[in-house]
Amino acid sequence: MKKVIITSLLTILVISVFGNDKFEKAMKKNIELVYSADSEESYQIAINNLTRIADAEPDRWEPEYYIAFAYTLSSFDERNTDKRDALIAIAQQHMDKALNLAPDHAELLTLQGFIYTAKLSVDPATRGPKYSGMAMQKYNQALQQDPENPRALLMLGQMMYGTAQFMGSSTTEACETIGKSIEKFETYNPENEIAPTWGKGQAMRAYEQCGK
Amino acid sequence: MKTLFYLLLTLFTFEIALAQVTVKGTVTDKKGAAIIGANIYIKGTYDGASTDVNGNFHFKTDSHGEHILVVTFIGYKPIHQPVDLKAELSEFKFILEESINELKAVVISAGSFGASDEARQEVLKPMDIVTTAGATADIAGALNTLPGTQAVGEQGRLFVRGGSGHETKTFIDGMQVLNAYNSTIPNTPGRGRFSPMMFKGASFSTGGYSAEYGQALSSALILNTKDAPNHDRIDIGLMSVGMSAGGTKVNDKNSVSGKIQYINLTPYFTLIEQKIPMDKAPEALEANFAFRQQVNKDGMLKVYGNINQSSLVSQLAEIDEPNTYHRFSLENKYRYLNASYKDILNKNWSLHSGISYTLNNDIIGMDTAQVNEKEKGFHLKTVLGYDHSNQLGIKFGMEVFKRNYQQQFNSLSNQQTGSLNFDETILAGFSEVEFYASNNFITKAGLRFEHNSLNNDQLFAPRISMAYKTGENSQISMAVGQFHQTAENQWVKINPELGVEKANHYLINYQWQNEGRILRGEIYYKDYADLVKFDQNQSQQPEVYTNQGSGYARGFDLFWRDNKTFKQVDYWVSYSYLDTKRDYLNFPHLAVPTFASKHNFSIVYKHFIEKIKTQVGMSYNFASGRPYHDPNSTGFNSGKTRSYHDLSMNFSYLLRSNVIIHGSITNIPGIKNVFGYEYSNTPDESGQYNRRAITPMAPRFIFLGVFITLSKNKTLNELPNL
Repeated sequence: MKKVIITSLLTILVISVFGNDKFEKAMKKNIELVYSADSEESYQIAINNLTRIADAEPDRWEPEYYIAFAYTLSSFDERNTDKRDALIAIAQQHMDKALNLAPDHAELLTLQGFIYTAKLSVDPATRGPKYSGMAMQKYNQALQQDPENPRALLMLGQMMYGTAQFMGSSTTEACETIGKSIEKFETYNPENEIAPTWGKGQAMRAYEQCGK
Repeated sequence: MKTLFYLLLTLFTFEIALAQVTVKGTVTDKKGAAIIGANIYIKGTYDGASTDVNGNFHFKTDSHGEHILVVTFIGYKPIHQPVDLKAELSEFKFILEESINELKAVVISAGSFGASDEARQEVLKPMDIVTTAGATADIAGALNTLPGTQAVGEQGRLFVRGGSGHETKTFIDGMQVLNAYNSTIPNTPGRGRFSPMMFKGASFSTGGYSAEYGQALSSALILNTKDAPNHDRIDIGLMSVGMSAGGTKVNDKNSVSGKIQYINLTPYFTLIEQKIPMDKAPEALEANFAFRQQVNKDGMLKVYGNINQSSLVSQLAEIDEPNTYHRFSLENKYRYLNASYKDILNKNWSLHSGISYTLNNDIIGMDTAQVNEKEKGFHLKTVLGYDHSNQLGIKFGMEVFKRNYQQQFNSLSNQQTGSLNFDETILAGFSEVEFYASNNFITKAGLRFEHNSLNNDQLFAPRISMAYKTGENSQISMAVGQFHQTAENQWVKINPELGVEKANHYLINYQWQNEGRILRGEIYYKDYADLVKFDQNQSQQPEVYTNQGSGYARGFDLFWRDNKTFKQVDYWVSYSYLDTKRDYLNFPHLAVPTFASKHNFSIVYKHFIEKIKTQVGMSYNFASGRPYHDPNSTGFNSGKTRSYHDLSMNFSYLLRSNVIIHGSITNIPGIKNVFGYEYSNTPDESGQYNRRAITPMAPRFIFLGVFITLSKNKTLNELPNL
């Protein structure tokens, strides 16, 4: 009897390790695809691969997160504003699914803010007042959950920078925030191997702008 | 330990015993065109592929036996096909069918101008209402730059396609609003009571609207209030006409906002002379509040209230003796409460329910006589929506309208008193089916039922509208329907048994839209029946007032908007042609009513100058002359005023991120506009009737204000709230 129990426990262990490993391996490969995507087609392939994983792993927020992230990024490459809005709308659908699985996760709150920023950038004159507030709120919520999160800091800093520039006021505070995010990028420990790591390059570029 | 070894061995041998299976094939649309980037995979596994530029795919899988093969692509219906995975699989040929997709599907544009931050196919944005020069942040003022409206400067209301101001009804969150405009001196325009920036979106319909909206003969202005705010803030406004202070408190699941505004025109009227002498310039105190509660994931309760108290005293001159004045005083009390609840019940059902209450009380004094007019209205409504699929949806609704009207007349000089009143209850029900034959073709068919207690009238009003996409950026739509409205209070109070007024609308619309550019054209025909009619002597006998009036209106509208061609510039141009005649009220025969002008033209221009952080706006409005009745000549409504012109300007300057300075001026060239003429009731010695022109209170209106926002988030400002 004892043997049977041990055997079954071991079996479960083997299968779950084996399964997890497969999930992480597949995720890592496709996260790389998202980070390196540079065309509509390359985004679509990464999104399709992640969609399969999301469908097979309905309890994990990561696949939905990266799908939403990929759609948001691809919206910035699109020039037709109607299509941009359509891509952002799909990103939001996947964001909602991810948020259902992990409502208060700092990375998800940050991405939600980023999606609002993308929506704002389609029509800044009209959407600016509303969506800048909504995005700021999400970045601040993310920092409440995880004060060390470099992406939330970077996004917050960039939003502050854009606003300050528009108003013609001082960008010092915004640049300090971006600078702080670079420090955090150096020291931040992602919670696992498939946790988001993007943003450092963007932070460096943004910080360079600050010097000018 | 041995067991584990066997187990691993089993797993291992199982792996090599079965070879991989290759799945391949093509994915096309119905027309046979390759779909690039479709996703094909075996459900529950990571195995799959995307189609290439020729719509081909192939991949290998370790899965065997019975599985489901899934094919998906955005905008198309997914395919779930059972397969038996074995070594020799024949090639798959998948044909995807387009799904009905709200981002792609055609929207009915006949008769309706939408305004929203979100939706793509919208003509105006709430912000446009605020930044339209000449509109002075008044909803009706901004909508008057759209085609289908007629400039009627002495009223300030929306006159749509030959309909009078009373034929345009306002709804907030689906609920009726009575007396949506401030009370004023006769022949001076009243501003709308509601600030445009309370709303996240508006739909202004100039005809052919949904069966959901009753008691509107010509036009429906449907306003939707904003959802929950996301920041605590305090707003302060200092204006040339008064001041305001407001605050918003946001909690986890709810939010409360409140605002108090005090308006006093005494300093302004001292500086700038007004046509009508004032003993007491208009003064108003207004408080409004909004409460939002997230009840559950999709359920949202919205409560909005508005309390307004205003008064003025002026001196009205006699027409025959311009130096003899009569004291005219006006006191207005207004209360509006609106509560609505929206929820998604499950996958198919949604609920929208609400209640609104309006109280309007005008106490008008004329020398020693006094008229006290009071109207109370209730509106209850529940709508259930059923979405059968993306293709088919049905709405059912039940409504109750209750109204009480009282007018009391007291004359101290000759001890006369009198009163007139009526109660009205309308029971209504409606249903509407929305059907998408494809993304390119939609049909909406509705039926409205109403029973009116005043006259026991029962009626069924069918309404149908359709839209067809003729190209990627163009569409044609049409609408036909029957519309009804209770006659105006001033007639119903004399004869409460007056029947319901009726109109049929027919319209065809063409719209072309491409990123920031819109071209619209619409042709319409309206016929009116059962309008109120009485003999020319206007006696107070109820039986004199009948429903024997009729009329028609026909014409076309053109609209062009472009915010793409010139950088930082947004402009629109509207033109409306109207041909209308009525035989109603005291008209002896078919004639053009005094509020109708044949040609209306307007151009609105906005330019954001980034360097000085200022938005500058200009607008020009033109209306051809309107008829007036001249008792000195033969014929009815045979006089015609000269045409109307207005050139206005405004600016908004961002002084700091939370401080805005806003200014506007109407009628810069100081054109002397005449809206019509009033004639004396009795002829003078030579048998002529004296007259007086109806003109604006002053040639220009100048506004200056500073708006400050205090919040933790320094970037917020009042721009969206002005």
